[in-house]
Amino acid sequence: MKLLEFEAKEIFKEYGIPVPNGVVIRNPDELRRQLNGFTDEVVVKSQVDVGGRGKAGGIIITDKAEAVSTAEHLFSFPIKGLIPKAVLVEEKLPIDHEYYVSITIDRSTRQPMILFAETGGVDIEETARTRPEALRRAGFSPLLTGVPGFLMRQILGSAPKELGPVINNLYKAFCASDALLAEINPLVTTSRGVFAADAKLIVDDNALARQGITANRDLTPREREAEENGFSYVELDGSIGVIGNGAGLTMSTLDLIAHYNGKAANFLDVGGGAGRERVMKAVRLVAGMPDVKVIVVNLLGGITRCDEVAKGIIEAGIDQHVITRLAGTNEEEGKALLAKNGYQMLDTMEDVVRQAVQEAAA
Amino acid sequence: MIYGDHTTGVIVQGATGNQGAFHINLMNQYAQETGGRGVVAGVTPGKGGQKVHGVPVYDSVREAMAEHDATTSVLFVPGFAAGDSIMEAASAGLELVVAITEGIPVHDTMRALAFARMEGCTVIGPNCPGILSPGELKLGIMPPQLAMPGHVGIISRSGTLTYEVINELTRAGIGQSTVVGIGGDPVIGQTFTEVLERFEADPQTKAVVLIGEVGGNLEEEGATSTSLPLVTYIAGISAPPEKRMGHAGAIIEGGEGDAVSKIARLRQLGFPVAGKPSDIPGLVRELL
Repeated sequence: MKLLEFEAKEIFKEYGIPVPNGVVIRNPDELRRQLNGFTDEVVVKSQVDVGGRGKAGGIIITDKAEAVSTAEHLFSFPIKGLIPKAVLVEEKLPIDHEYYVSITIDRSTRQPMILFAETGGVDIEETARTRPEALRRAGFSPLLTGVPGFLMRQILGSAPKELGPVINNLYKAFCASDALLAEINPLVTTSRGVFAADAKLIVDDNALARQGITANRDLTPREREAEENGFSYVELDGSIGVIGNGAGLTMSTLDLIAHYNGKAANFLDVGGGAGRERVMKAVRLVAGMPDVKVIVVNLLGGITRCDEVAKGIIEAGIDQHVITRLAGTNEEEGKALLAKNGYQMLDTMEDVVRQAVQEAAA
Repeated sequence: MIYGDHTTGVIVQGATGNQGAFHINLMNQYAQETGGRGVVAGVTPGKGGQKVHGVPVYDSVREAMAEHDATTSVLFVPGFAAGDSIMEAASAGLELVVAITEGIPVHDTMRALAFARMEGCTVIGPNCPGILSPGELKLGIMPPQLAMPGHVGIISRSGTLTYEVINELTRAGIGQSTVVGIGGDPVIGQTFTEVLERFEADPQTKAVVLIGEVGGNLEEEGATSTSLPLVTYIAGISAPPEKRMGHAGAIIEGGEGDAVSKIARLRQLGFPVAGKPSDIPGLVRELL
């Protein structure tokens, strides 16, 4: 789950990373009461979970007198369709230079990896593409509790040594918050020291519980309902509903739909060992999507029993046509149940997909 | 038989849980059919002295190893405790841990893998269906009834999709040497590259099917690391960016790891890429 900038900055502060003085407001009135803390120019930042906020008009530099009206504007200004629930107002820093630093997990080496660039700011992706050598990388053992000195010197090159402790603290925050990504862009030097002008933290979904985070906000309402039922679920924009067991098989079913020029409405993996009730909930959830014309159920029974799947489909009792492919454990019992209740079954995933694409196009 | 054979002694960690108990039974049924040793001991802290399907349970891996001759562990411990269990197995001297567990925080996995490597222990997974050498050894949860012994190795990041491919191959009369599910997490113990190294040293394996998906670039890394004939398949052409497709590792991030560019790269390198699972047997036959 991606944290908002102000939430990430609260965590950074705990780990000794300096951030600009600022206030988080939920409405413009809150700012009126807190304006005294500011002296001169301020930066007003929309707290939406969207990349490229600055270019989209979500970050505005203004003076103290205009701060409230600027905040009012941002509270009603959608960025990529999202309206912010909070706005962050910060002092404007006297920036000397902007750097880039991030820590991620490198899949190949299975290690944390630091990326650093002596030119940070909005165009870091462009820099990465056009001058890859400008991004310095260093990976090291996850068993270390800090960044070794020799690696820090290698990362920093001719950049000021003062950045070192901030990067080391970023690594500590990265570990402590179970982050998949911890990023400061820009990391700025000023006459008053080093600051994280922006902050980005993505927390591992598998660690939300121990991080004390109860709800994954990255989800749509239907995705949340799916999560509560223990399904992996992603919404797409086609008209063929897809239910499978196992992430790979379900993804492969989606691809086969695309292969035959159809469009899937969703990805729903019921997981291993799904029983009657879970299958029923899955079918109803997908049937509840407004654009779904037909539903494909593709199940390979291992731990999952095909007769339970069949009962779930029948009990769901939905209007849309359900086309099923069942194979594996208790296949015969499942097929008999579906046949008795007039449901269509085909023998291979190709057959069900072709049939569904045809019906969706009709 | 690249990770063990019928003589391999197996310990199950998390033996008294639902999944652990269920699969001890299935693994031992398979061992009986194939004349293997199967699961010789279980481990669940605090449950020492119990039996699961006739298999004795111990409080720690060390205690189990003092009584039984085992080299391998299959792990069904819940996510929050699984990292610790991998380290326990490695520290006690086991050579191989197959971590079935889904939902381990990736920082735990990363540290446990680094620790296991120092102890000389190989880890498969986490979030994987395990290993199946048809007719010899089953470590994990793969359904062996779909498989048949032969000369094609399979490596995959996904469970049921692997069963689909096993099924297609068997129906086409093409047997398998060993099937390895390496897991759907972003950080895994054995990557395509390392499994392919073992396949290369295995006289039984003549060709390999590599099943990948969106996320990362381990497929390309693996494919270019081996001289074995390969057929590849990549799932997730229809996966939208920044959405996790069921697996923690199946996500297109920062414009990297999408299926279309993976497939293009594999084709460019000269590897046959199957458009759909049912194309795989035909492509394999061309290689053999």
